[in-house]
Amino acid sequence: MKTAFALSALAAAALAAGPVLAQDKKEEPFWAVGRPKGAATAKMAPVPSNPVPTPADKLPISKMRLPKGFKAEVFASDVLDGRGMREGDKGTVFVSTLFVAGKIYALVDEGGKRRVKTIAEKLFLPNGIEFKDGALYVATPKEILRYDNIEASLDNPPQPVKVYDQLPGEVPHGWKFIKFGPDGKLYVPIGAPCNICEPDPEKYAQIMRINPDGSGREIVARGVRNTVGFDFHPRTGELWFGDNQRDWLSEDMPQDELNRVTKIGQNFGYPYCHSGLMVDPQYGWGKDCKSYVKPAALLGPHAAPLGMRFYTGDMFPAKYRNAIFIARHGPWNRTQKYAADVVVAYVDARGRVSRVEPFLTGLVQNNRYLGRPADVLVMKDGSLLVSDDHNHAIYRITYSGPR
Amino acid sequence: MLRLIAAGAALLAAAPAFSQASLHTCFACHGANGVSSLPQIPSLAAQPAFYVMAQLVLFKNGRRQNEQMSPMAQPLSSDDLRPLGEAIEKLKPPPPAASPVDPEKWNRGKAIVAREFCGSCHQPDFSGIENAPRLAHQREDYLKKALLDYKKGARVGYGNAIMPEVAAALSEADIADLAHYLAHFRKRP
Repeated sequence: MKTAFALSALAAAALAAGPVLAQDKKEEPFWAVGRPKGAATAKMAPVPSNPVPTPADKLPISKMRLPKGFKAEVFASDVLDGRGMREGDKGTVFVSTLFVAGKIYALVDEGGKRRVKTIAEKLFLPNGIEFKDGALYVATPKEILRYDNIEASLDNPPQPVKVYDQLPGEVPHGWKFIKFGPDGKLYVPIGAPCNICEPDPEKYAQIMRINPDGSGREIVARGVRNTVGFDFHPRTGELWFGDNQRDWLSEDMPQDELNRVTKIGQNFGYPYCHSGLMVDPQYGWGKDCKSYVKPAALLGPHAAPLGMRFYTGDMFPAKYRNAIFIARHGPWNRTQKYAADVVVAYVDARGRVSRVEPFLTGLVQNNRYLGRPADVLVMKDGSLLVSDDHNHAIYRITYSGPR
Repeated sequence: MLRLIAAGAALLAAAPAFSQASLHTCFACHGANGVSSLPQIPSLAAQPAFYVMAQLVLFKNGRRQNEQMSPMAQPLSSDDLRPLGEAIEKLKPPPPAASPVDPEKWNRGKAIVAREFCGSCHQPDFSGIENAPRLAHQREDYLKKALLDYKKGARVGYGNAIMPEVAAALSEADIADLAHYLAHFRKRP
């Protein structure tokens, strides 16, 4: 699972709400609810990111392992809390943030160096961004905003237009990943407002879609705990999404999921069935995993798949075309750290995942993270950007081997 | 002391890049080589670099407040913070508190440490790691102050540090025992 926060929900909430009130009996933070008592679990908490951005020359480029012919370089450093990425029509890379910064950045190319411009700030958990028809969309847990004609006004961004404000707004799994589908609708997830609970299925644990003007809300997928990345198959248009499964069940279960939606309204199991393999020890009584759509692939226990994209570029070898690059943030809810990588899922002609293999690795050392991929972005030139919200940097992966 | 702070602040403003001088600015209040001899002021020596940077960032952005530290942290850039954290981490750890050990307090403190799994994050020898500060041989009065600040909600953790919740569940007597034990860690009564 992931509750990827560098700064806690509590801290962010405190930041938004002003001074913390004196109180003696504090509630546990939501991620800690249900934690078994013990020395091993006492230290498990979402991993804090580096307090200050890692300088460009200290980023873990030399630690990264990639398949032959691929090369990683620093695309931008000093991108505090940088997570979600989108490329504008004119080549601007927009970057979202979550718990630490509350900002949206525009990375502007200045003679091969990227300047980081803050174009919006003091936003509450603005993790979800999307770019379409010249406009930048920003989603917080509560609302979706639109900044029109943004690339022409990076130094003086316009007042945003409110597209939608009917989201629940809670912190737990309330932060967004948003994307327009091939149907021209905006797809918006609403996660479960807890680690494990039985929320109103009409309101939570779903991916829904709306028209660009905010009308016509319709649930696309149900039983979704916390998706922080999805994309549409370039040929079939089908929605594929990662889903972060529950915490505190065990070290090795459940496994996070890669899912494929073949029919509107399908149910993917939460909170009753996890990984398509096991019913929940609390909510699963009387339930059967056969009632829910099985994951297309399992991505590892608590691996935290975040951003994902089908590869549609021309730069990489042909085998990567229409394969899915997935950023795995790496677990906090597990004794042994792993993942913190980018994997590739290959989808066959029948729409099944034939295999999932490592792509960018090498960022776990001595059970600590050297970096944590949060999103991937296929650029127009076919290169792949990878954001790392642990070091506050963005890397660029290129291919120059034989074709 | 105030004069020293003012001098230090001026110095930092004039030379934002880290230098040995800015470490000496810290020592003005936090003691020679980061071992404090002033009440309520923590020893910095051998604190994890991550923790030092994180706390300075909290002071800088106003989420942790202190009359002296808030303005001190203000001018520090990322490029100042990193070497400062690393230099502090390399200092020799403080010695155990010189004050006599109260065996009953010490033993109660030891039991609370076991019950609350403090060593899980702060390390079994309380040397600290990353976001979890070194507690071994920290000043007793400062440990008490820090825990009470967390308990009262006057201090937030960096990241998901769970200290506000942990401290809220401790009584003031627990806090006094814990502080005594950690200040005199391994100084068996």
